[in-house]
Amino acid sequence: MTAAFLVARGIAKRFGALTALSDVDLEIRPGEVLALLGDNGAGKSTFIKILAGAHPPSDGELIVEGMPVAFSSPKDAASSGIATIFQELALSENLSISENVFLGRELKRSVLGVPFLRRAEMRRRVDSLLKELDAHISDPEAPVGSLSGGQRQAVAICRALNLNAKLVIMDEPTAALAVAETRKVLALTRRLAERGCAVVLISHNISEVFEVADRIVVFRRGRKVAERLRAETDPEEIVSFITGAHPGVRALEKTN
Amino acid sequence: MRQFRDGVFSMTGREWSLLAACVLAIIVFSVASPYYATSGNAGTVLRNSIELLLIGLGMMLLLAMGGIDVSVGVVMGLAAIGVGRALGAGVDPVLTAFVGPLTGALLGLVAATVIVLGRVPAIVGTLGLLGVYRTAIFVLLGGQWLSGLPTGLTVLLGTTILGLPIAAYVIALAYLAVWVALRRTPFGLHLLAIGNSEEKARLSGIPVVKVRFATFIISGALTGLAATFYVANYRNVEMTVGSTLALDAIAAVVLGGTSILGGKCSLVGTVLGVLLLRILQNGLLLVGVPSLWQPVVTGGLLIGVLSFEVLSNRLSLLQFRWAGK
Repeated sequence: MTAAFLVARGIAKRFGALTALSDVDLEIRPGEVLALLGDNGAGKSTFIKILAGAHPPSDGELIVEGMPVAFSSPKDAASSGIATIFQELALSENLSISENVFLGRELKRSVLGVPFLRRAEMRRRVDSLLKELDAHISDPEAPVGSLSGGQRQAVAICRALNLNAKLVIMDEPTAALAVAETRKVLALTRRLAERGCAVVLISHNISEVFEVADRIVVFRRGRKVAERLRAETDPEEIVSFITGAHPGVRALEKTN
Repeated sequence: MRQFRDGVFSMTGREWSLLAACVLAIIVFSVASPYYATSGNAGTVLRNSIELLLIGLGMMLLLAMGGIDVSVGVVMGLAAIGVGRALGAGVDPVLTAFVGPLTGALLGLVAATVIVLGRVPAIVGTLGLLGVYRTAIFVLLGGQWLSGLPTGLTVLLGTTILGLPIAAYVIALAYLAVWVALRRTPFGLHLLAIGNSEEKARLSGIPVVKVRFATFIISGALTGLAATFYVANYRNVEMTVGSTLALDAIAAVVLGGTSILGGKCSLVGTVLGVLLLRILQNGLLLVGVPSLWQPVVTGGLLIGVLSFEVLSNRLSLLQFRWAGK
């Protein structure tokens, strides 16, 4: 088994008197799609916000590639190789695909102190990224506003890859997509892992999770209640973890 | 295929229709007035377009970023007083030419500070500054016109090199500089991204505050440059200087195809919008419509174009959100 890219130990998050997350241990490995499941308010979002640097944890530690880290902003997380693709994609509809992929980190060459964009080079790189992901987008110069929801996810993924992300967190990427589009995004998710990226996928859709994830982690009431390899579990067991009907969860919740 | 035409003189349907409108207006006025189709009048229209073109380029950048500046008229007035005073004090004309852009850039910095750091919507912040500056002009001029200024600046900008006056080179340079900044540097992408959504731009790692400051300063400098031309052209500064400039500039830029909601703009469109506006104003004057009616025509055009765009679904009213920037 490959060494973990990120290890979370005893992560807790309290908002005043409210405990949103307590004592979460988790390992995230390169080349693996890890699905986070759980009901609303189970703590999934809080957990990924901690990974993404949007919230500091109240307790516990994060270790990235063997080194303890403390993120004070999403920028810190990004410089550790963690990219988050939020549900509302942070893409500029009025700019082209290649401009979006490089936005904020453009390639440029200085002529008399004026930073000129290296458009041809950016276009070439985006073209090869799109081909590599088999994203079915032919023209990197098309405005993002003209793309479908699935294609926009592909652009967001390209952007993450271009930032050299080693861990890509995807927050319900298929929530607003039609069936055919969902298929494409799931295929992209797989390809991302095959490239050696660690992928964390948040989802409500169990069949989708079983299709794409290598490992499944279930959150319930701010705790991690289950971790299973996909091959060793089935949708029924996972649902029982989510709803709390599983005897293991009951025993856990009784002791507290 | 490139979907975004961004060459120095790129034209799309909008720009071609504007060009057609300019030609049509010229034909109609030529038929209607014997004084219209003369080389002297063509020169007048072009000369009258200079200040508006420079201010329009700055206004275009601001609108594309989701900002606006309704104080450009008085900013030009203040810069013109600076240029006029320097000229009157016998400062070298070459140096006085720089007084305008410098004063303008400084006032742009003030506007940016109020709007960006003070978190005031651009339309409200610049409206406030408009009030302050209008009084400042009155106080500085002491209730009198600045008039009978020396001809140094006029001579300087009129000096011809290779058959063209220096003024033409300065304007071409300003246009090219704006084109490079907008279409060839990261700054242009950042500006358009902010115009699309400030929040998304921030999430993308764009230095939003820096870009907004830079845009207000550039627009201020262009407005100040317009003041230099204004003083060279008229050699006086009156109390009501620039009172319709903000309306003219916003109308010309919006006519040119720049989105009032931000995120989209056209350089060639801005030039043609300015020309169309000045052709109409000049032509109406020559066919006997009193100049009092000019703002009515401009305002009508502005409202007409915007409501046409909303009705044809190019803009959604729900998207009206620039007041927040």
